[in-house]
Amino acid sequence: MSDPIQEEVDREIKENKILIYGKGTKAQPKCGFTAETMQFFDKYGYEYELLDVLENPAKREVLTKMTNWPTLPKVFIGGTFYGDTDVLDPMEAKGEVEPLIKKAFEAA
Amino acid sequence: MITSDVMTSYIQQSMPDAVVTVIDLKGTMDHFKLKVVSEAFSGKPIMDRHRMIYQALDVPMKDGRIHALEITAEANDGS
Repeated sequence: MSDPIQEEVDREIKENKILIYGKGTKAQPKCGFTAETMQFFDKYGYEYELLDVLENPAKREVLTKMTNWPTLPKVFIGGTFYGDTDVLDPMEAKGEVEPLIKKAFEAA
Repeated sequence: MITSDVMTSYIQQSMPDAVVTVIDLKGTMDHFKLKVVSEAFSGKPIMDRHRMIYQALDVPMKDGRIHALEITAEANDGS
């Protein structure tokens, strides 16, 4: 019996080129790191989605298991997991982020 | 709440050579910026380095002593 939450997550990851699982909403982020992650992507001007999992422990558990990453926010670009801004900031410093985003949007 | 010494000892249990710098982001001793320097990171991608730190701090994160972490992980050669 496949896991409905896993299916939901798989669909969300496929449908959103830049996807942030975090705490709160775009209008009302409830965690500094979630807000920081949105500001990170605001710089690039590409559309991104923020999905609030603050009150959804079951989904957070699925996400934690599949990514082997215990914290939120969790970022996916083009269907691939990239941790959070602690990972993306050093990648950005090496110019690795923009090509990733462009590739994700070109692949559509 | 947790002290930097306790966090350092958790990290050194899995990375004995680790040099750990702790900044208490909010003065509440549960939101931290951590810099960890260890030869264990050498040649490893960033995400795996951070996973190593999260694994080392698994207990105090799960029991709530640590609420939030900002991580920098460097090998001894600064890479």
